Amino acid sequence: MSEALKGKGADNGGTAAGVGGSRSSGSGNGAWQPLIVAFCCNWCSYAGGDLAGTSRLSYPANVRVIRVTCSSRVNPLHVMRAFQRGADGVLIAGCHPGDCHYTSGNYHARRRFSIFARLLEHAGLEPERFQVRWISSSEGDRFAEVMQEMTETIKALGPNERWVDPRWLKIT
Amino acid sequence: MAQDNLNRDQATARIRAAVTQDLLSGRISLLLGWQKGLFWWRSRPLFARSQQDLERLVWDSFCAVNLSRYLPEELSIEERVGILVKGCDARAFHRLLQDRMLDRERVLLYGLPCPGMLDYRLLAEAGVKEAEQMLEEGEELVIQTGGGEERRPRTDFLLEKCRLCPHPDPVVYDQLLLPPGEPWMDPASRFQDLEARERPTPAERYAYWSGELQRCLSCYACRQVCPACSCRECFAEQQEPRWLGKGAGLNENMLFHIIRVYHGAGRCIECGECQRACPVGIPLLELSRRLAKDIEELYGPYEAGMDPEAPPPLLTYRPEDPAAFPEK
Ligand code: SF4
Ligand code: SF4
Ligand code: FES
Repeated sequence: MSEALKGKGADNGGTAAGVGGSRSSGSGNGAWQPLIVAFCCNWCSYAGGDLAGTSRLSYPANVRVIRVTCSSRVNPLHVMRAFQRGADGVLIAGCHPGDCHYTSGNYHARRRFSIFARLLEHAGLEPERFQVRWISSSEGDRFAEVMQEMTETIKALGPNERWVDPRWLKIT
Repeated sequence: MAQDNLNRDQATARIRAAVTQDLLSGRISLLLGWQKGLFWWRSRPLFARSQQDLERLVWDSFCAVNLSRYLPEELSIEERVGILVKGCDARAFHRLLQDRMLDRERVLLYGLPCPGMLDYRLLAEAGVKEAEQMLEEGEELVIQTGGGEERRPRTDFLLEKCRLCPHPDPVVYDQLLLPPGEPWMDPASRFQDLEARERPTPAERYAYWSGELQRCLSCYACRQVCPACSCRECFAEQQEPRWLGKGAGLNENMLFHIIRVYHGAGRCIECGECQRACPVGIPLLELSRRLAKDIEELYGPYEAGMDPEAPPPLLTYRPEDPAAFPEK
């Protein structure tokens, strides 16, 4: 399958130069770079990302942030779709327990995604590839750290080969 | 597990007498039960509306099909439906009731304590090819093969779903037609076999499941029989957004099954109907059971379909819940 993975995911091409494109190691436009999809809740984690930005903290451009209303808005199908279309890691970030803008969204998310993480593990995903973290709007530094850490972990693991939909891989 | 001293023919006669009376008196307009299928080792659903239909009724060791799944559709046309329920049919009934798919008042449940249903594949492996080669004597099976006569415990030949079943006696009924039995599986130890079958690395797990699921035909029989799959519109056929194509490529097969199992999390009654119905022999029950085990570990003991008032674990939470990811 790794041969088929060469080239780039059709929908992950170039918002940040040099990222999420090259799945081949070695030749071409440089070494493989992981693509990480981060679903961030609007009220805490996305704001945490904003703070990281305004504080001029840098985090890897491998991370593509998708803003969602709440961590509980994320549907496991979104996670599967991200993997199908070339994500090497998926992160869900929400408010700390007790701080959800909708009171209980993240409590539900905690149960759901704990169970979903176990399920993905049973089905053979490396557990590092699917993560959940709580990041508040005042934790710009934590946001940057989490993104940095996830990127390093996924880099060490290499490209994801699970559930990739070959129809989405464009041969470059 | 003992069925008193009633043999299966006597038990069938007793069941037939009870339901015939209710059907003729108009207390029910339809009875859901079982009749013989094309093969001696298969009994299939019976939809009885007359005394004549009821003559085909059987209660034997092959009545594995869970009948409750038919109730929501039948209740849309029938006034009052009678149904024979084993342990798993009864839990499926609770499952559907909890999903508000049924009107309890319009269903009459005839409880049948279940001795566990037999798996033809296991019988065939032991040399049983014809009905005449097998005689059930209480908890033993007397098998006649070329090599002579052999006595084996009946439990050696149970369907996997039955071997693992902790509640063979129905947990809900209006009328119990046969004497209660003795369960053979303790709910607390029902996951023990999973540890023995642990696959230690992600690569092994992926290889195993992709090997199994690549056979999936996308026929969705596993979903159709599942009492936990009660959505009017399934994500598998949803048009907007469209999650699955019509192909049966490995990644889509795995997406379907991962989400199917996830949708059953905390709701799956571990009835194994998915696995029994699958035409290509995919061991589907294991994934659902692994998840049920995780749910118990993380959020406490819970058996779906036992108590319709107990909220399913994924529909509730406690602020002090643990997580399967670092929370600091
Ligand atoms: S997923 Fe399988 S075992 Fe669980 S309730 Fe549905 S049919 Fe039964
Ligand atoms: S019953 Fe078997 S072949 Fe049909 S969709 Fe389910 S797993 Fe696939
Ligand atoms: S709003 Fe942030 S987790 Fe619910």
